[in-house]
Amino acid sequence: MVRRSLFAKSIRDMQKSKAQFISIFIMATLAVTIVTGLDSVWKTIYDNSSAMYAATNISDMWINVLNPSEKELWSISRINGVEKTEKRFTINALTGLEGRPTLRIYAVSDQSTLDRPMLKQGGLSSRSGAILDVAFAKKHGLKINDEVAVKVNDKWVTFRIEGLAQSSEHIYSVKGTTSIVPDSGKYGFIIVNEEMLKSIYGQKVYNQVCLKLSPAADVTRVEAEADKIIGDDLIGIVARGDDSSTNNINANIRQFKTLATVFPLMFFLVTALITQSTMLRMIESQRSQIGILKALGYTKRSILWHYTSYGVYMGLLGAFLGLLIGPNFFGRLLIPWLQLSFTDYRISVNLVNFIFSLILILACTGGVSLYACLKLLRDSPSVLLRDKPPKEGSHIFLEFFPKLWNRMRFSRKLIARNTLKNKMRMIMSVLGITGCTGLVVAAFTLCNMVGGIARQTYDITYTYDQKIILDKKADYRFINNLRLDGTIQQMEETAVEIICPDGKRTMKQLTVFSQDSPLVHLKDVRGNPVLLPDNGITMTRKLAQTLNVKAGDMIELKRAGKGYVKVPVRQIVYLATGQGMYMTDEYFELIGEIFKPTVMLVKWAHQPDRAFLDSDYVDEYVDRTSQIKDVKSSTKVVYIAAILLIFMGGILAFVVLYNSSILNFSERIRDLTTLKVLGFYQKEIRSLVLTENILSVVLGSVFGIPVGKVIAGLAASGLDDQMDLLSKISFGTVALSGLITFVFALIINSIVAEKMKNIDMLESLKSVE
Amino acid sequence: MSQKMSCGRPGQFYPALLHLDKGRRLMSFITFENVEREYHVGGHTIKAVDGISFGIEQGTVNVVLGQSGAGKTTVLNLLGGMDSPTKGRIIVGDQEISKMSEHELTTYRRNKIGFVFQFYNLVPNLTVLENVQLAKEICSDPLDSEEMLTKVGLENRLDNFPSQISGGEQQRVSIARALAKNPQIVLCDEPTGALDSATGRKVLKLICNAASSMGKTVIIVTHNALIADMADVVIHMKDGKINEIRYNDSPKDAEEIIW
Repeated sequence: MVRRSLFAKSIRDMQKSKAQFISIFIMATLAVTIVTGLDSVWKTIYDNSSAMYAATNISDMWINVLNPSEKELWSISRINGVEKTEKRFTINALTGLEGRPTLRIYAVSDQSTLDRPMLKQGGLSSRSGAILDVAFAKKHGLKINDEVAVKVNDKWVTFRIEGLAQSSEHIYSVKGTTSIVPDSGKYGFIIVNEEMLKSIYGQKVYNQVCLKLSPAADVTRVEAEADKIIGDDLIGIVARGDDSSTNNINANIRQFKTLATVFPLMFFLVTALITQSTMLRMIESQRSQIGILKALGYTKRSILWHYTSYGVYMGLLGAFLGLLIGPNFFGRLLIPWLQLSFTDYRISVNLVNFIFSLILILACTGGVSLYACLKLLRDSPSVLLRDKPPKEGSHIFLEFFPKLWNRMRFSRKLIARNTLKNKMRMIMSVLGITGCTGLVVAAFTLCNMVGGIARQTYDITYTYDQKIILDKKADYRFINNLRLDGTIQQMEETAVEIICPDGKRTMKQLTVFSQDSPLVHLKDVRGNPVLLPDNGITMTRKLAQTLNVKAGDMIELKRAGKGYVKVPVRQIVYLATGQGMYMTDEYFELIGEIFKPTVMLVKWAHQPDRAFLDSDYVDEYVDRTSQIKDVKSSTKVVYIAAILLIFMGGILAFVVLYNSSILNFSERIRDLTTLKVLGFYQKEIRSLVLTENILSVVLGSVFGIPVGKVIAGLAASGLDDQMDLLSKISFGTVALSGLITFVFALIINSIVAEKMKNIDMLESLKSVE
Repeated sequence: MSQKMSCGRPGQFYPALLHLDKGRRLMSFITFENVEREYHVGGHTIKAVDGISFGIEQGTVNVVLGQSGAGKTTVLNLLGGMDSPTKGRIIVGDQEISKMSEHELTTYRRNKIGFVFQFYNLVPNLTVLENVQLAKEICSDPLDSEEMLTKVGLENRLDNFPSQISGGEQQRVSIARALAKNPQIVLCDEPTGALDSATGRKVLKLICNAASSMGKTVIIVTHNALIADMADVVIHMKDGKINEIRYNDSPKDAEEIIW
């Protein structure tokens, strides 16, 4: 009986301050939605990729070496930490299909246990069959029993498709030479039996050793020892996490983890503040009711719980609704954009983190209500039943500047005193507006940053029309003599093994071209043009950061068929996407290598030379315009995220300002009514309440700019190891964000003004508090 | 208009033309003509004021007397332009306020009315002096705030906040605020309702002096019949109608009244 009537009171109280409680609910829901949503993104990726890695028994390391001897293989398997070694052959090959897509061939033995494909349909049943990338097959309309032809070692070989599968080495699958985004129509994998190599090369050849390590193995040490064993024949070593697919996945997981932790904090904070101001006001206005309850004999505990329950109900409701919405909304929205090759995945929910956020939200709502109530409960019933002592007035710091103070109008003085005495309310508004402006600034900055990628890379740095991958047999001197109608620049792109000063080993892309570079204009971070130094190596900024290398350091470079050579890092350049190292052809030959161009950049004077492009000299080519389109499409998700950010900023501003205004208004309704009776116009009364909003908008906007920069930096830093984004705030962004925040504030002001019009002068004056 | 009556001075005459005669020109400063005010509450219609007519002379002290629910507060609200009648006319000076828009009523209130509330209604975040100086901001022709506060005897409290002074002092500030606006009419809603009788008497004396020394028209709404003895005119209301209008030949001095 007791519980039910108190509960009925809760419902009625909440209905009376509907707007406030809805605000608390919205904020709590939003906070938990963001946490669970972002969490579910990384957890889904993690769960699905981990499951796939386990199911396919993915290797921990791949050593690229041509035809490793049995002795070398045996020595490697004896390295401390190595559990299993297998060898295979892998190479990129052109197909005869439309658009000249590339397939990466894996020729493995039928006893191989590492890097197994994840079969979706069929399976290898004969030695001449192949397992094809299921996404690639779909794009090209290939089914089981169809045939696909690939060009290896200048020979065309045909395979019959016996199975369709996914590969854990190709979850994020990028070809690298001509594109930076996954396109399952242009690049896929095909797994064949090693016996087929006989018909291509005349014998079985191998160029990769796959290693499975024990969990406690020291990766760097294993790499070093394997290097020593193989010696000069080594091409490079790639550890799991360094190859593009796992690297990308790890980066995504890392980034969403960071976002999930940092981003929602603001919303939790605002939830706590709104609850505090709402409950404080309500409990104070229910002074006499609490006195009555006490006098009637309700225990302190039941009264405490009664008021705490308001916050707890809202927090619980919000948290569970957030749990429902978050993963579904964020997960379904964002994961597809990451372009991972999972087809059927279930959204995973990080329940552990949800429990944390549930506790946090309950602390922000219930805990705060409890605290507000505790203060009042200390008084005896008789004290509570008596009238509230009138509000104390006091002097504020501004009055210490009499020259300023005495010249202020009374409405201004009133606003000043009122604002400075209610610091909590002001803090809440400023915080909310800071959040809103921060989100809007971040949204626009992200769009700017991402929009600038294509421009920086494919407009400013590269100015070719086409990038042509030359056939391996093409002789560059012969091509020079062809006198093609345009500007030509020949480059060699190769992957080399390097050892960084801190001992880290990795394989990275090296691009070699002459200092005189008509179609590649490398720039430094500030945009100044940079010539390739002829006495060392050049590195892109992001890569240098990732490897912990700076200008002046020495790195060891593995030369083909020879040992390592120490090269100094002379220059750092800035490239928004496509990180790597650069060297002049002269220096390349100086250190003992042979310059053999693999790539040709061309800017046609008139029409593209079709005959040349279709000739045997050319393996494939890509237009710069389509590269720009690729980049733009891969970053489209950022625009969606930006809209989300602005939307959330709007909600934040609305909720905070609305609550703050209503609080401001209802705390002073008596005074405002008095002033109305005294003859103040509606306009003047409105400004007494709403000027404070303008103040917090101005303050909040100013604080919001650095906050926005930080948010944008956070979101952009973890995107990908291949992207290096400069977070620059432009004046336009700031102005636009300020404008938007201001518009939000104006809308709220007019809504509140409407509510204020209905001050019932007669009612408000009659009753004592 | 003949000279006004100041309260507390026996033997004064007062103008004979206080009644409204149908067909005769309205001569009073304030005129209520068949005023009705209806409220619609949950399906019922309540007539707070049910067809009342009276006139008030400039510079007089008037008391509107009645029990709770009699309609006296409604009359005050109508007089102050905080409410508009559903029927009838209200004329103040040469303005017909019953037909005014809300903005015009606010202007009317701003310039012509001074208000003294039962619960003082001072702004807690302004000092005593600032509360009165409020008037300066909205009035076209205000009186000096410090002078008003000295007049009510609070020259030593100028820098205090309302929470730091007694109830009687707060009410005196309220009066100073009302007078600083230099209004034509001073409306008082149970001004002594929250005060003890000694303080209340002091407050009443101040209010009446406003009429005598400054020529203001004072209208006090109360349920305390003893106060009525102080007034020049007593309008007794009952159930939304005027019960009777009484004229005091010799209104008592505030100090003489004891309740």
